[in-house]
Amino acid sequence: MSEHIEPSGIPHDELAAQVAAALPQWLPSQRWFGGKDREIDSVSAVSWTTLLDGDPLLLHLVVRVEQGDRRELYQLLIGSRQSQLPDVAAAASIGLEDGRTCYEASGDADLTACLLDFIAEGKRIGSMTFEHEPGADLTTGLRGHPITSEQSNTSLVYGHHHILKLFRKLGSGVNKDLVLHRALHELGSQQIAEPLGSISAEVDGEDVTIGMLQRFLPDAADGWVMATTSVRDFMADTAGLPPEELGGDFAGEAYRLGKAVATVHADLARALGTEQAGADDVRRAVDSMLARLERVSAQVPALARHADAVRPVLERVADVAVPVSTQSVHGDLHLGQVLRTVNGWLLLDFEGEPAASVAERAALASPLRDVASMLRSFDYAAQQLLVGQPDDPETTARAMSWARRNRAAFCDGYGKVAGQDPRDDAALLRALELDKAVYEVAYEHANRPDWLTVPMASIERILSEGE
Amino acid sequence: MTDETTRTTTVPDAALTGLDDIPHTGESIADDGTLTEPQADDFGHAEQAPSNPEWFKRAVFYEVLVRAFADSNGDGTGDLRGLAGRLDYLQWLGVDCLWLPPFYASPLRDGGYDISDFRAVLPEFGTVDDFVYLLEEAHKRDIRVITDLVLNHTSDAHPWFQQSRNDPDGPYGDYYVWRDDDSEYSDARVIFVDTEASNWTYDPVRGQFFWHRFFSHQPDLNFENEEVQEAMLDVLRFWLDLGIDGFRLDAVPYLFEEEGTNCENLPRTHEYLRRVRAAVDEEYPGRILLAEANQWPADVVEYFGDPEVGGDECHMAFHFPLMPRIFMAVRRESRFPISEILAQTPEIPSGAQWGIFLRNHDELTLEMVTDDERDYMYREYATDPRMKANIGIRRRLAPLLDNDRNQLELFTALLLSLPGSPVLYYGDEIGMGDNIWLGDRDAVRTPMQWSPDRNAGFSRSDPGRVYLPPIMDPTYGYEAINVEAQQGNAASLLNWTRQMIAVRKQHLAFAEGDFVDLGGSNPSVLAYQRVWERPDGLKDVVLCVNNLSRFPQPVELDLSEHLGCTPVELTGSVRFPRIGELPYLLTLPGHGFYWFQLVETGDEGERRSQV
Repeated sequence: MSEHIEPSGIPHDELAAQVAAALPQWLPSQRWFGGKDREIDSVSAVSWTTLLDGDPLLLHLVVRVEQGDRRELYQLLIGSRQSQLPDVAAAASIGLEDGRTCYEASGDADLTACLLDFIAEGKRIGSMTFEHEPGADLTTGLRGHPITSEQSNTSLVYGHHHILKLFRKLGSGVNKDLVLHRALHELGSQQIAEPLGSISAEVDGEDVTIGMLQRFLPDAADGWVMATTSVRDFMADTAGLPPEELGGDFAGEAYRLGKAVATVHADLARALGTEQAGADDVRRAVDSMLARLERVSAQVPALARHADAVRPVLERVADVAVPVSTQSVHGDLHLGQVLRTVNGWLLLDFEGEPAASVAERAALASPLRDVASMLRSFDYAAQQLLVGQPDDPETTARAMSWARRNRAAFCDGYGKVAGQDPRDDAALLRALELDKAVYEVAYEHANRPDWLTVPMASIERILSEGE
Repeated sequence: MTDETTRTTTVPDAALTGLDDIPHTGESIADDGTLTEPQADDFGHAEQAPSNPEWFKRAVFYEVLVRAFADSNGDGTGDLRGLAGRLDYLQWLGVDCLWLPPFYASPLRDGGYDISDFRAVLPEFGTVDDFVYLLEEAHKRDIRVITDLVLNHTSDAHPWFQQSRNDPDGPYGDYYVWRDDDSEYSDARVIFVDTEASNWTYDPVRGQFFWHRFFSHQPDLNFENEEVQEAMLDVLRFWLDLGIDGFRLDAVPYLFEEEGTNCENLPRTHEYLRRVRAAVDEEYPGRILLAEANQWPADVVEYFGDPEVGGDECHMAFHFPLMPRIFMAVRRESRFPISEILAQTPEIPSGAQWGIFLRNHDELTLEMVTDDERDYMYREYATDPRMKANIGIRRRLAPLLDNDRNQLELFTALLLSLPGSPVLYYGDEIGMGDNIWLGDRDAVRTPMQWSPDRNAGFSRSDPGRVYLPPIMDPTYGYEAINVEAQQGNAASLLNWTRQMIAVRKQHLAFAEGDFVDLGGSNPSVLAYQRVWERPDGLKDVVLCVNNLSRFPQPVELDLSEHLGCTPVELTGSVRFPRIGELPYLLTLPGHGFYWFQLVETGDEGERRSQV
């Protein structure tokens, strides 16, 4: 790292260290920061790269955040300007000890424009490598604007053409999201947004993916909005007609979504292979589900009441016929992770559950895990209008009838492509759904108590449906 | 209006055996068996409409059934003179071109598509001279007229067929596709599976089988025969000489047959259409050909011909799949049924235009050619009793939409702003109803409702003589729904429709602009812009935002490419907030829509467009 001197005279490594020192105050208020549950012990700069020198200045910074025994890497874009700060900078400012102001620069379109251009040029700057995928067709000279809906990462949309996702929490090596997108794209998959390029940085001697550029689909609407549009129409019907007789019926879309998910699973298996889980693996999975049940029951009395009924359903998985086929899956599939475009459904964000460890995310899993997770999402969509409303069994039953129809349509579509209906593996699917619901109970209990009714109603439904 | 004395065309004669009651000409037969057919010079010719070779791209079409519009002679059936008498109304409404389904001499076993004489008018509609009168009067009002022409087949009562079956070695012996057995072309599907067992029918008179893609009373012409090709060109010339502005060519995919194929869309069929087009362009520039090919858009574009030369077959074709998808999109409150069919619609040659419609004289059809589309339609329609009930039967727009004024306006706004020339169906501009008790075919063909007077003002005949009773129910009956009442009511559907047609005509972007789907995060809102580059290089940009949901909706649109422009609402010229860097927020009432022009504001007032 050569000695860069900012006009104001401070070397960039010193600046990086100063920013890192200010981060323990600043990080917890960032939506994408995953360690809000614990105190931050320290933040240290692991590496920094000057992307734009002079004024304004753009620095890429990787920091290590230590929280007890947890150590995670995060990346930031740090901007600094001599002149008056743009509005976006003021809102993202990180005050430094000497009174100077730096800011998180992902919202500063003047500065982030260079990221796209670097990718198009295939540039290497310091420890950072910008690459475009072979044959990628890039439009350059565009300004990037962050999308506001994101949770754990930051994505910049360039014009109507490209979207650059900056992974906030960094793993090791090539990111799973990028690996899976590349593998699917190589097979010509129509169910993903085409990967166009990537950014990596050397961290602790290893190249780590820090960003992925994809085709942006301006004509798309996300699955959650599509589904809740249908629910809204359904719940507003005063005649009490069944969902299939109402205009807003979603089953056709759910069916096509099932086909799309099954197609992606088949492609992933073809591209990256499958493995067979034996009895020991299955036992470990059952134990892990049981452990979660006990843990969450201890915290949430409402769940504890059902624990005795849930336990045998989970236990029964140990009896499923082995081996169970496992493969790369999406890992965090729900209606918010799928997009309806004019060419059909596609899947986004193959990173896996944000809360899971990198190793957990990379692990192979039964594709039924994705199916179960999407089925859960239909329950959420059906019941979201009921959250915070007085409990009304009739309304809940009505919402459940929407979910039932669309869950079935999703499974029909999935089975049409997969050649086997996921409901044929009833014991495993049921357990995976319950396990997911238990996870949701913990999450809602901690974060959104109003929503606790949604997974609880589902658990009651799954248990009452019997075999 | 009646003037029986002006009728000069031939009356049906009995020169040919078996045609005693069938309207036809062919009043004399030469010794060699050749029929003497009427020539255009036997009649007066209409003045041409003002010349503008691309008129069809900008025209508002109006499908009108001669039988149903106005009766001039009090016989209970609408006629050409009656229609001519109502041209002032159509001009007032803003109609640019009439599309008349067949009015030729016919035994009427297939709604007039079974033509027994290409050069005669069905006597109850009038005469060829009456038609020339209609053309003349229409052209005076800058209204053009096109009609259906069936190239593929004739009625079995056509003198050509009678000659062909009776005299195999005569001049018409090879006009039809005759074979000794019924084994050929077995890969061609039977289209009317409910009534026809085969595409071959045995004719005991000639002792041979004849080929027919439709009904067995409609033998296919033999286009392998050069004389047939020329004879059909002469039929076109006959009407073009009289002054007609074009033809909707019926059943075009089926002209030629070839063993081992499905006998549809064959290269030789396209070759013949190019020949027809070349003749029209050379001899009658500015007249148009509209293809009726109920096929997938990717296949229909073939009928526009070579894009390199701007198209060298038909000028226009109907976009069939769009129509059911408009209904589905509003029913589903989702823009995708419309967005995806338009995304799948290929570019068309520069000299071509789609025709789009909400309703016509046919049913809401689901006759789709791809398996995917059939699967899609099945998924969306099969379980929905409401949608299923409307398939395969003929309904009018207003009853299809529960007579909901908001939806009627939304559908009409879509019709007038989606890419293509809109085709209105007579009566829908006043929200006429249908009469399903009349049976499928006639439900949507009842008399036009002009006034609350006897027979809805359609005919002065005895009510018992009217060809079909006018609608009389309390909601849609002529006492409630009629032109006279709606013309007098500024807030009526009729006046609203007229205003929207007028607005459309002020902006060529609607007619000729590129279509850009704006997408957006709210799937219930369909937003698109139509962008037309004016001859002076400026752009006319129209923004259309449609709420397909019955509930109010917000939408945020990315209009950043129009930064600094002001959206001006087109019906009231109200200026909306300027477009800034942030997504542009609009809220729409249930089934509401907006049309805006995007205006660049400058120091010297405003330019009407933005660069």
